[in-house]
Amino acid sequence: MSTAAIEARLTELWETPKTVHGWFATVDHKELGRRYLVTALLFLIIGGVEALIMRVQLARADQTVLSPEVYDQIFTMHGVTMIFWYASPILSGFAIYLIPLMIGARDMAYPRLNAFTYWSFLLSGILLYVGPFMGQAPHAGWFAYLPYTGIKYSPSHGMDFYALALIFLTISTTGGAINFIVTILRLRAPGMLISRMPLFLYSTLTISVVILFALPSLTVACVFLELDRHWGTHFFSVAGGGTPVLWQQLFWFFGHPWVYVIFLPATGMLSMIIPAFSRRPIVGYPYVAMATILTGLVGFSVWLHHMFTIGLSDMAMGFFSAGSMMISVFTTVQIFAWVATIWRGRPVLTTSMYFALGSIALLVVGGLSGVYTGIIPVDWQVHSTYYVVAHIHYVLIGANVFPVFAGFYYWLPKMTGRKLNETLGKWSFWVMFLSFNAGFFPMHNLGLLGMPRRIFTYKEGLGWQGTNMLVTIGAFALGVGILLSIINVFISLRSGKIAGKNPWNSDGLEWESESPPKPYGSIHLPTVASRHPLWDDHDEEEDPANDRVLDQGRLTVITTWLDAEPKAIATIAKDTLAPLILAIAIFVFLSPLYSKCFG
Amino acid sequence: MSSATQLPTRFVSLRDLPVEEHRGRDAMWGVIATEAALFFCLFGAYFYLGNDKARWSINQPPKIYYALIMLAVLLTSSAVLHWGEKQVKRGLYASGRKALLATILIGFGFLALQAFEYLDHWKTLTPYSNSYGSIFYTITTFHAAHLIVGLLILIYALFIPRYGPTLESPFRPYETASLYWHFVDLVWIFIVLILYVIPNLMVHG
Repeated sequence: MSTAAIEARLTELWETPKTVHGWFATVDHKELGRRYLVTALLFLIIGGVEALIMRVQLARADQTVLSPEVYDQIFTMHGVTMIFWYASPILSGFAIYLIPLMIGARDMAYPRLNAFTYWSFLLSGILLYVGPFMGQAPHAGWFAYLPYTGIKYSPSHGMDFYALALIFLTISTTGGAINFIVTILRLRAPGMLISRMPLFLYSTLTISVVILFALPSLTVACVFLELDRHWGTHFFSVAGGGTPVLWQQLFWFFGHPWVYVIFLPATGMLSMIIPAFSRRPIVGYPYVAMATILTGLVGFSVWLHHMFTIGLSDMAMGFFSAGSMMISVFTTVQIFAWVATIWRGRPVLTTSMYFALGSIALLVVGGLSGVYTGIIPVDWQVHSTYYVVAHIHYVLIGANVFPVFAGFYYWLPKMTGRKLNETLGKWSFWVMFLSFNAGFFPMHNLGLLGMPRRIFTYKEGLGWQGTNMLVTIGAFALGVGILLSIINVFISLRSGKIAGKNPWNSDGLEWESESPPKPYGSIHLPTVASRHPLWDDHDEEEDPANDRVLDQGRLTVITTWLDAEPKAIATIAKDTLAPLILAIAIFVFLSPLYSKCFG
Repeated sequence: MSSATQLPTRFVSLRDLPVEEHRGRDAMWGVIATEAALFFCLFGAYFYLGNDKARWSINQPPKIYYALIMLAVLLTSSAVLHWGEKQVKRGLYASGRKALLATILIGFGFLALQAFEYLDHWKTLTPYSNSYGSIFYTITTFHAAHLIVGLLILIYALFIPRYGPTLESPFRPYETASLYWHFVDLVWIFIVLILYVIPNLMVHG
């Protein structure tokens, strides 16, 4: 059969028709990955606007832009949106789009589950935002401590929206994690041994396992909260023999591993981008891979450091303080590997590399302030102050937003077929980097001066005014920097330079496919012979007898999980509406809540 | 490029590979891992609340004989299902289906027994009594919910027309469904140990 005939046949098998039905029924990982990215970015913008509103209120002393109640709701929505509906889903978006291309598979292991996780992610986000539009937003911060969130102090349905939307989201996230694990372990191209896997796969695999074991704790906590609020149980009420600390234990047992869930894949992206632009393989590949796995593992033994001020035993605090410091060692291993890679390589300073370098700088600042706060007496001093706010933003913006932007400048040409404008991109980087530091570094100072987090205003004469004004200006400028990159995306979609298959001469298998990739990926399922498929002398698609085309149906190859020996042929599900219907069914199942709000 | 290495071309053909049949099982292991973590958290909450004797009002430990009868019932169901799975693997699909039906009936029997247990237990303890009651009923109800999900999966498997070799998914519904069922049984063993046996030992022992 000629190549053209094979292509036509594969296209017919894999292409989703451009109809309304096709739009809702698609299970194509590229389409779903794109939607994940767009949706998560929308949540970033929503959360960002909320942050800016807060900064207007705090710009000067005794402002009255927001009432205390509204301020509480806005900072809660900001935190919940950013941490749950932006930071993790944006990384899932990259993973869903890229992983099948990186491993040479035709789709994810469970395409229908993939579609379901997207729809339930979207609908849970909508559920979260139904509340605020009915004037019933959660108002107790993203970690929602009892007893404030109990029915007595939070009689509105805001906390119910919080709990139910989170339970809904955990279903989506868990499904996605199972999908990643099986995809990464079973669908790798023949020859892509576990020791040749791109590092992004190591980080995604690690966080997927972490999700499986950490997320149920959040589900349990939210179920207990709802039972206590509406069914009169006594998990958190001291009078009935419960304790509010149970919430804290359950929440942080989930919460701290979650920090690594939204951090590790971003470091995995840096471990792909930095070597590509340093023109050499990463230094210490096995150490970076092991550091990634160990971060995920040790991430389970640090959660008590969020609770040093509640009166724990010295023994427990000592153990968890040590754990918190130990985990920084693994992050340091990664950072040194990146620095050594740049040092020993010939760095090419593209916009993507700018963001990667900026990310390293911010991550070091955020990591160090994290080590400080892991020390118990320091924690007692700065607990619940702006110091912690500065720390969390350095870590999350430094190690999530900046790598994500590096990822966009790096991989968007693959997704759209067009490059982004480098000049505008570098402007965007410098505006973001400088304004971020101008806006968030002074927060350390505010914290040490004693400004508590989550206050809606402050008195004049405390010496906080000028710094707060600076923070507000920085926050707005950061918004401008992000806006520049968004404008850049739209410009590139219209008139960007055509990227071609491999615009950066990178090593990963994802650059083997067309830009944008064909619905089926590559015609011949690739084989891999080294850690850097496109840099070595091996032709991945060398297949003269068409032995690796698999055009009898929607098929891909299953390999063994360590050695990636071809083992079997897997069928891939067709487009279907079932995932959407199931997600809507769950949304409707939770409808008593919002009907209660109306009535 | 510093990493350029000469590598021999390796011939890989995908023409004669069998159809893959285990993705359902793979996903089920993921589900089991996360559900195990769920019960781990529930037991953790049980111990955490019970750690402070001042607030832990377990006046009388739950009667153990109900739980043991229910355990025997569930273990029987697992054994029957396992036998059925073996039959299916040997190609005896009809007896496999009968075993599935029997398992489902035993499963409903378990739920009935649990209803009796609740009715009896409710006289001395309710979820509204105290934190012990809350966590006791929450854990056992979570287990019952998982059992109901297991029953739904088994009923779905019961009505799947084919257990044998096939080119369409689900490939091995029997295997996947029974894996989940055995997990739900295993959880009950832990519940019996933690919620029933240990409190009785601590009172009587």
